[in-house]
Amino acid sequence: MAFLVAGAASGSLDWGGLLTSAVWDAPRQRFGATAMIWGTAAVATIALAVAAPVGWAVAVAVNEVAPPRWRRPLRSGAELLAVVPSIVFGLVGVAYVRPFVAQVTGVAGGDSLLAAGLVLAVMVLPTIVAVSVDALAAVPDATREAAAACGLTRTEVVRSAVLPQARRGMRAAVLLGLARALGETVAVFLVVGRADGRLPRSLGGVVDLLARPGQTLTTKLNGPESVLAGTTGAHWAALCGLGLVLLAAVAALTVAGHGRRSAAPARARLRGARRARAGRDRAARLLLWAALALPFLAVAAIALVAATKGSRALDPGFWWAAAEGASGGGIRGQLAGTAVLVAVAGLIAAPVGLGLGLLMSEYASPAAGRWMRTLTLTLGGVPSILLGLWGYWLFSTRLGWGKSWLAGSIVLAVVAVPPVVVAVAAAAGALPPARREAALALGLRRNRFVRSVVLPQAVPGLVTGLLLGLARAAGETAPLLFTATVFNGAPVLPSGVVDSPVASLPTHIFVLAQDAADPEALRVAWGAALALIVVAGLLVAAAVPARRRLHRSGG
Amino acid sequence: MTPAVHLKDLVVRSGGRTLVGPLSFRLDRGATLGLQGPSGSGKSTTLRALVGLLPPPLEAQGAVEVLGVDVRSPSADLPGLRARAVLVGQTPMVFPASILANAAFGLRHVARISRDELRRRTEAALVEAGLWDEVADRLHAPADQLSVGQRQRLCLARALALDPELLLLDEPTSALDPAATRTVEETITGIRDRTVLVVSHDQDQLARLCAGVVDLAQA
Repeated sequence: MAFLVAGAASGSLDWGGLLTSAVWDAPRQRFGATAMIWGTAAVATIALAVAAPVGWAVAVAVNEVAPPRWRRPLRSGAELLAVVPSIVFGLVGVAYVRPFVAQVTGVAGGDSLLAAGLVLAVMVLPTIVAVSVDALAAVPDATREAAAACGLTRTEVVRSAVLPQARRGMRAAVLLGLARALGETVAVFLVVGRADGRLPRSLGGVVDLLARPGQTLTTKLNGPESVLAGTTGAHWAALCGLGLVLLAAVAALTVAGHGRRSAAPARARLRGARRARAGRDRAARLLLWAALALPFLAVAAIALVAATKGSRALDPGFWWAAAEGASGGGIRGQLAGTAVLVAVAGLIAAPVGLGLGLLMSEYASPAAGRWMRTLTLTLGGVPSILLGLWGYWLFSTRLGWGKSWLAGSIVLAVVAVPPVVVAVAAAAGALPPARREAALALGLRRNRFVRSVVLPQAVPGLVTGLLLGLARAAGETAPLLFTATVFNGAPVLPSGVVDSPVASLPTHIFVLAQDAADPEALRVAWGAALALIVVAGLLVAAAVPARRRLHRSGG
Repeated sequence: MTPAVHLKDLVVRSGGRTLVGPLSFRLDRGATLGLQGPSGSGKSTTLRALVGLLPPPLEAQGAVEVLGVDVRSPSADLPGLRARAVLVGQTPMVFPASILANAAFGLRHVARISRDELRRRTEAALVEAGLWDEVADRLHAPADQLSVGQRQRLCLARALALDPELLLLDEPTSALDPAATRTVEETITGIRDRTVLVVSHDQDQLARLCAGVVDLAQA
């Protein structure tokens, strides 16, 4: 990410102005970011105010209230939301959340910080649930038994014995959810309104502004300015400054979040028993079950909407016909482009991820391994819009590739590498110590040992991580917009590297979704969205058997 | 008066496998009974079945009546029963909180009493568990600073604070060295006027602690 520093340094950036002024006026060379920082903070706060309590409740319901044999399916179900590409959330936001906000607040259009916050709330929910469930599952069962053996109800066991030990991890879940919320780009872009310079002047103004269009750091970077600014000079420097502010916030949250996942002692106060314990227990459990239903309702609603609105995609002709004009036609070129981008990204990410994963688990010293792990997780948390800017700066401009499928693939490979590294290292780490010792006791040298003992163990991890990483990469929009794709006029398959753009499903949807007034454009967008969900879903579904094998062999 | 424990043909199964039983015995109020058997014979499982704490997929069959409560009935108030028939686990599990908070842990949830009363009964339990002299000057210190033997007695105090009608002790000294074992045994014999069911693999210990012994290997 050094390019951001170099970019910010290239044009005498006034940091004081950037961090204190709300006026962003490129022609007059005035660059103040406080309105965007306020927008980002407002959107993320709304998202977490909704997602944190719901996510915690879902996690408690999954791990503490539901019968143990339901735990894994319930958890996987709640995490299905993470499979839905963000561009689809953007589309849902355009079609439903925006009108909803317009109706509730009475502000025409509905493009607003509030709409963006609500869309984001659903998007960060899977992160909060997954990390919170991990934190709860790490509390030993002996704790629950010891508390239940004193006569506590289920709710009291959770509140007094389990939560004090899981609290740190559940707070970390919110930090990681916040990091995700700050970095999200396209879904917010479609519903936030992108109005510059709005900053509340009073407390009442805050509420009023939430219902009105705003701008966030990511949506600014995803806008046309990034391409118009050139890659030197004051304007580019200011944009890189925005990127640095965003990156610093996200990286700090990611590191803090992963650092805090371990349990720590908590303090308990002496307090007498509450009234109506059995009633409270029943009410709390009911509430938790209700919360558990929410992510499933969201998944079902998105599936239903995509299936009905995207009925175009049920017609095979839609998949094989070429796109026509500004809104019509099929998605042949987009499908082929996405396939090329994802396949090449996979070819790059597999060896790089495998190598880094083995390096981390087998060769690095414990301290270096921890550093690599932190770096990997941080890279995984970097907002993809920043990866897109990096690709634009390096490949499209510095190397003069213009828009190129290879640039897009390399950027998508960066998206896919962190899950591969983590999965490979986890699979290698799951090697039973006895088997490790037995092999080393035979006098195997390290390289030989890694090749014949660790590598076979790590392959399922490689496959799982790669498929999950590529599923995420297939849905990425922001990194492709500046580096690889065009809406019209790309050949089905590219020839050469320089100035050879492709089309892709997510960017296609992105462009169509901004033309919300044209019903035909929206029909094609939903059809393409359904196709994209199918592609991402197939990649994830393919990862499930590999993951199961991994769990079996890992014990 | 109903017996403290009345088991008739208790069988505990996990899937198709039988882990315990069929087992029948009766423990009268005010009496002490030992459950003896080699490891793996289902002693701990039997204790958990008595208060409905079998971890799934374990399931109990047969008639299980504890303090007049039919444990297997779906309408049984199990939290209420567990506050009267307190199980002390094999490994001394302390919560990440102070010594005092650990001893008060069950009582503060179960009984609606004033803070002073809570404090008084908790301290009395620490005395009865034979721990008071060792912790009186550091009640607010974290409980995980205690030695394993002290933790075991803290768990005992946590149970005694509830003033239980029945104490279920699962291998109360298995984690302890001989000196700590002696201290805990003295504590248990000191609380004689309660109904106690002790599980142990150590015949001599049961002979020291209990009036009667049921051998699971022969039952």
